[in-house]
Amino acid sequence: MTVEIHFDSSWQDDFLHRIDNDGPWGNWELFKLAIEIEKQLVIPEFEGLQAPKHLPNLTPLPHQLETAKQVIENMNGKAILADEVGLGKTIEAGLILKEYMIRGLVKKVLILVPASLVTQWAQELNNKFYIPAVTQRKSYVWEQADVVVSSIDTAKRNPHRDIIYQQNYDLIIIDEAHKLKNNKTKNYEFVQNLKKKFCLLLTATPIQNRIEEIFNLVSLLKPGHLGSQTAFYEKYKRDARSLNDDKHLKELVNKVMIRNRRADTGIEWTKRHVETIPIQFSPSEKELYDAICDLKVAGDWVQASSFSVMTLQREACSSREAVFYTLKNMLQKQENPSQVYEDQIMSLIKRVEAVQTNSKAEKALELIQQINDKVIIFTEYRATQLYLQWFLKQHGISSVPFRGGFKRGKKDWMRQLFQNNIQVLIATEAGGEGINLQFCHHIINFDLPWNPMRLEQRIGRIHRLGQEQDVRIYNFAIENTVEEHILKLLYEKINLFEKVIGELDDILTKLEFGNLEDHLIDIFGKSRSEGEMRIKMENLSSMIEFAQTMKEEGKSRAAAGNS
Amino acid sequence: MQQQEIHDFLLKYFQANECPIVENQPGHLTVQLTIELDKELMNRPFYWHYLEKTGGIPNPMKLTLITDKNKAPEKLRGENIHFGSPRLHQIFESTKNLSKYIRLYEHHPNGSRQTPLYPWLCMNVKISYQCDRKRDIYKSIGLQLINGRMVENFHDQLQQIRLTPKIPDYSFTLSPLVKPVSGMKRIENFLKMGIEAEEHTWAEEARNRWEKDLQLLDHFYEDVEDENESYLIEKQALQEQYEPKINITFVNGGLFYLTENAI
Repeated sequence: MTVEIHFDSSWQDDFLHRIDNDGPWGNWELFKLAIEIEKQLVIPEFEGLQAPKHLPNLTPLPHQLETAKQVIENMNGKAILADEVGLGKTIEAGLILKEYMIRGLVKKVLILVPASLVTQWAQELNNKFYIPAVTQRKSYVWEQADVVVSSIDTAKRNPHRDIIYQQNYDLIIIDEAHKLKNNKTKNYEFVQNLKKKFCLLLTATPIQNRIEEIFNLVSLLKPGHLGSQTAFYEKYKRDARSLNDDKHLKELVNKVMIRNRRADTGIEWTKRHVETIPIQFSPSEKELYDAICDLKVAGDWVQASSFSVMTLQREACSSREAVFYTLKNMLQKQENPSQVYEDQIMSLIKRVEAVQTNSKAEKALELIQQINDKVIIFTEYRATQLYLQWFLKQHGISSVPFRGGFKRGKKDWMRQLFQNNIQVLIATEAGGEGINLQFCHHIINFDLPWNPMRLEQRIGRIHRLGQEQDVRIYNFAIENTVEEHILKLLYEKINLFEKVIGELDDILTKLEFGNLEDHLIDIFGKSRSEGEMRIKMENLSSMIEFAQTMKEEGKSRAAAGNS
Repeated sequence: MQQQEIHDFLLKYFQANECPIVENQPGHLTVQLTIELDKELMNRPFYWHYLEKTGGIPNPMKLTLITDKNKAPEKLRGENIHFGSPRLHQIFESTKNLSKYIRLYEHHPNGSRQTPLYPWLCMNVKISYQCDRKRDIYKSIGLQLINGRMVENFHDQLQQIRLTPKIPDYSFTLSPLVKPVSGMKRIENFLKMGIEAEEHTWAEEARNRWEKDLQLLDHFYEDVEDENESYLIEKQALQEQYEPKINITFVNGGLFYLTENAI
């Protein structure tokens, strides 16, 4: 077999020139040192990892090293890294990147991550891996820096887009790649047209849910690996939930995807202690809540969709401020509100005004004082967030807010303030993604999201690799409200909080019944009586239990088959 | 490279560049940089530009490098150096750049006897075998420019010989019969022939992987009519990913004048 041999002769003229001019000549000691270095830097084997030798201050875990090796040696540098939350996908990606850079196979790198993680990625690559990654702040960075970290939303817009397409990237890393599951989006199209010599897609959300999502993600990485679009859908569409059943497809996907599970890593995780804290409404709060519930019963409120009533119910369990904000919006949105409508809202606003205290906030204050350590409070509502900040301040506790809409620099600043100076961080949902806060061990769920994966993400902010202490989670729930129902389902029936990360993924995937949140909205929104609601909840939880048993049976069957 | 080796290397580097060693203790090293080395390593072109414009007194920096945190004084301020640290790799690069070409004479013990010195061309190279993976080997070749004898491991053999940058008394150099430029060509051909004689299963395997992915790609785009831009991009990417190549890069080299039977 002949292989093209390229002989670098750019130095020859320089050398000959010195021979003709008798110098200048180099120093013999340095000449010898240069050879010594070269002998050190030569990598005589195709296989194996060099990166750990270069990273004395980093101790990668066995599964991380194994993943890096797999990707380079058996997957030819194109892979979906789909470890469960908190197992260190960033470390794996960093190891792979470092290895390629040491071997001289990769120089120009593009790293696309959510805006909130841009700085964190760049810092980790610089500090842990000594990779001079630069965050994209000016458009000349694309051309001048070799390793650039940017958000995909910036990158896909011009003028950046055009400049990026002109660069010759050796490696592209995309974090939170599950956002690219839909091939009709601008983001998907942007990534598809990038040249991907080596490519890593990082995702914590399993992509098994929908067969087309798998197809889209894998085709982004390695077009044709799952066949052409028509061929693929001919084969699988008819039976769209078959990934787990279809052994062949599963094997194919596993050729490009690595998914380490927490249970398989053998790492000792710190424990999660979950405590439900039941709270009682004050009389005026109860009146407000009941008044909202009555709206539904009365039914004379034509415009009231079941959705907004439910939203108000949930908000009433959080803060009067949240309710007020929504009511105000409802009123403003109507161009010509009918007198009845206006009266309804105004009477609710009166009830809001009658509320003088917030039972949850008082409980939170008590708890924070008792914990006497860093605490993260999660709430779904911005109005609650603002109120809590004010309320805590009144009692001499300073806090910082955190939410998705913050600019990157502000997020970093808030995180740093929290780490160094401030006791409490109050985050809304959007702020929950990706940022690492493992220096904190206490979470208060001031109110609960209805999507269990979001809850998992909240906890994942602190319960991850690097967390050295047990983690305490306090769930606030007002008695005899919609909130209590939800908590009962999530907590008591499916033991959600104590599940190890990832098991939940499996269970929800097994269910194949779509979005849990949709089911909850349906149950609470459309049920005409308490009785109907209870029955529907029972149904839902038995379905979840059923999926759980199926999973366990599958496990024992697999174990029996192996013996 | 062990930390001790790194320490020794750094010491030799700064000594070879004539930097005064301020302190050399187990675990750390402080050196006074020369103007040249400050410019080489400290990356402050504006300072030097300013100084040259204003004619001020140059004040090159002192550099403290910590090669073993446990042995160095606790409060010592300096840069931690290990095998992966950017500073060390900068110094590696600098070492290679500062001394790419050399000319030396054998310091022979022949006293006042007239001694002819034979010219040798030395080339130290790195050969890289590259596809989606990569490995390299280092080779040192010497070519005698009178009789055309080719020697491997030339650099190691030179270590046995005392060498000096000035021609010793009572010595004279023989003019090469092989011109340096054709000597270089001979070494290049010698290396290439050696490589061609090797087995290249790695390249075959890489081509197989390439072919397989290419088939998948063709299949993916078979429904799409016309020239599709993303198809072409992907195809190009596969070539860059897998195409086996061998690169021979020059590390350093020089002319050595040695006695007849030195090697």
